[in-house]
Amino acid sequence: MSKVVEISPTTRHEGHSKLVLKVNDQGIIETGNWCSITPVRGVEKLAVGKTPEQVPKIASRVCGICPIAHCLAATEAMEASIKCEIPNDAKMLRHILQLANRCHSIALHDILILPDFYIPGTETKINPFTAEEPVRSVAKRIQRLREIGQTIGQIAGGDCIHPRNTRIGGMYRNVSEQAKTKMYDLAKEGLTLSHQQAEFMIAVIRNYHNRDFVDVGGMKVPMPKTLGYHNQGYLATHAFYGSTSMDECPSWDINRFKEARPYDWYMGEMEVTLEEPKYPIGGTTKMGTKVNPQMEACTGIPMYDGQPVEVGPRARLVRYKNFDMKGTKGQNIAREMEYQDCFYEMIDCIDALNTSGKVVADYIPNGDGSLGWASNEAPRGTDVHIARVNDWKVQYFSMLVPTTWNFATCSKALEGAPWQLAEVIMRGYDPCVSCATHMIVLDEENKMIAQKLIQ
Amino acid sequence: MGAELGNYKSCVSARSTDKELLKHAQDGGIVTSLFAFALEEGIIDGAIVAANKEFAAKYPSKCMMDNSNFDMIEPWRPIPAIVNTKAELIAAAGTKYNISPNVSLLKEATRSFGLDKIGIVGTPCQMQAVRKAQLYPIGMRDVGASIALAVGIFCMENFPYQSILQLVEDHAAMKLESVKKMEIGKGKFWVYGKRGQVVQLPLKITHKYEQPGCHVCLDYVANLADVSTGSVGSPDGWSTVMVRSKIGDSVWGKAMAAGCFETQPIEKVKPGLELVTKLANEKITKNKKTLEGRATFGVGKALRNPYI
Repeated sequence: MSKVVEISPTTRHEGHSKLVLKVNDQGIIETGNWCSITPVRGVEKLAVGKTPEQVPKIASRVCGICPIAHCLAATEAMEASIKCEIPNDAKMLRHILQLANRCHSIALHDILILPDFYIPGTETKINPFTAEEPVRSVAKRIQRLREIGQTIGQIAGGDCIHPRNTRIGGMYRNVSEQAKTKMYDLAKEGLTLSHQQAEFMIAVIRNYHNRDFVDVGGMKVPMPKTLGYHNQGYLATHAFYGSTSMDECPSWDINRFKEARPYDWYMGEMEVTLEEPKYPIGGTTKMGTKVNPQMEACTGIPMYDGQPVEVGPRARLVRYKNFDMKGTKGQNIAREMEYQDCFYEMIDCIDALNTSGKVVADYIPNGDGSLGWASNEAPRGTDVHIARVNDWKVQYFSMLVPTTWNFATCSKALEGAPWQLAEVIMRGYDPCVSCATHMIVLDEENKMIAQKLIQ
Repeated sequence: MGAELGNYKSCVSARSTDKELLKHAQDGGIVTSLFAFALEEGIIDGAIVAANKEFAAKYPSKCMMDNSNFDMIEPWRPIPAIVNTKAELIAAAGTKYNISPNVSLLKEATRSFGLDKIGIVGTPCQMQAVRKAQLYPIGMRDVGASIALAVGIFCMENFPYQSILQLVEDHAAMKLESVKKMEIGKGKFWVYGKRGQVVQLPLKITHKYEQPGCHVCLDYVANLADVSTGSVGSPDGWSTVMVRSKIGDSVWGKAMAAGCFETQPIEKVKPGLELVTKLANEKITKNKKTLEGRATFGVGKALRNPYI
């Protein structure tokens, strides 16, 4: 007899979500639903009628960890729609900003996943807040890496959280020679630290996944060798930056994309029949609670070639570097592997930047309503924004955010794992739930979702 | 009263020992000299100053500009800029009697200009803004800790650009382009032309051109600066300097030791602190009255008072 257990809310990720899990007698997940329960803010709908200058600044506010991705993807979607080519030095500044944000985001995610892991060779779980070594120096290194990422982002992009420097047609300002040198020095320091940090993290991750049992709230949980495996395939548009519909060979195809409603995808109404008060911290949902993922999930299900796909660091490495490690372990290791790449690429971009170069396009068209899209490889994966701009007004705006792609894929990946490790699988995706929940899915033809919600 | 000059550790009458620099300075060249010294010593790695049209033409990347404000580049309109060298400092020297939004560059200085240690010069209200940004940084991330030296200048009131245009071109009958220097002193508004003309206007006629916001200001000698300076109290070509904070004291001490300034005790010079105190008192008393007036401005209604 399968039972239903619910972990709500989930912790140590961005935003508000929950896991509804149908498990067998051994506590192994048969069907897992990971759903966003973040209130929908409807950025895509309120963007309509606003100017293309405003919308990227609003879209940026979707998320404070990866605002760069939204800001850049939205700006470039507008530029793709109006067909505006930006100067090369503006591109370099955007690349630097993007990479700086990725470094900071990886470091932040390290803090979030470390409490799951053990100090290698011991039975001690890592508490990033402890003053004891070796954890304290790791925590300090993480904070320095974040500081470096944010400072570089701040210089190139005006601000590290919600960049001010980006504009339609390029950037508002180029940086000074002094600022370029400062970015270069910081990137060099970051490079050394990122090597150390990635090495440490990969050792810790390997150690965790090689264990036979792990401890969750005093429960001894077997560690499956296939934790987080799925067969959904991968989507990535660039190893570092992204692609747009203005590219000669765009690496994303809008025709292969389709979005399903959560109603068609998630499980229907159920009752919680398994409760575990020991689950840290505060236990799982009370027995007898009614849950209904179909109605409660706040995101759409984007599909590529008719299937949900995985996006993120591993997808990028699979696509561009033949990475072949699967599961949660592969995911976490791929993320750490991006660390140094970020800094190497950033140093190249800083070298290539001409501080007296032009950063705004000479001519910025008003747009004729044609469709443009831009993808940005956010820390968590492919972030595609689609826009139509007509006469300097946004007519249509849509965001396909990494965690939206990953919701359905991760739900699949939960199958076969002990339910106590569901959150570990979920954290492997570095979920950014408020990113994912920026919209309400509305079937334009028959307004299905709106109707269902009203009933 | 008695607190009209704010807290200060020492007060002297001073001028720069750099003859070249003095040629371009408004009074004793204190701000230019002090920033030049601080830049040389690495106390600051850039300074926010009020530059001008000629400066913007020569160093466009040092100014805060985008496509929208090119038409604001007019003679005698100050343009906030970031300077890194003595040559740039000299190019930006001199008082412009209209509004220069220096604080607008404060955040940008730590961003695309990449400064870690900012020097900033400004009027008393701008020093207040700088201190407020340090203590209550609203949208001012990482700015507070980057402020290394804030130099304040004495300020009785300021004018909008249109006012200066009218005062110079109508009242003084001189084209702005041909003006070499402007000065308020000895109860007069002085306009010096490049061809040697001198026009003096009684301050009475300038009053209606003042910026209304200046009428609620209760600070004459930049009480919140690290070092404040102004012409009042010292003879022509000299400045009154008040060293206020620990930072100010340390920078001033080093600059003195390096021989950047010659000084006289303020007690020895005419008209001295007595006049500064008198003018500060007049400003504060007058503006306090304006503030009180705002409390009963309407019938049963008041205008806002930012001090409460």
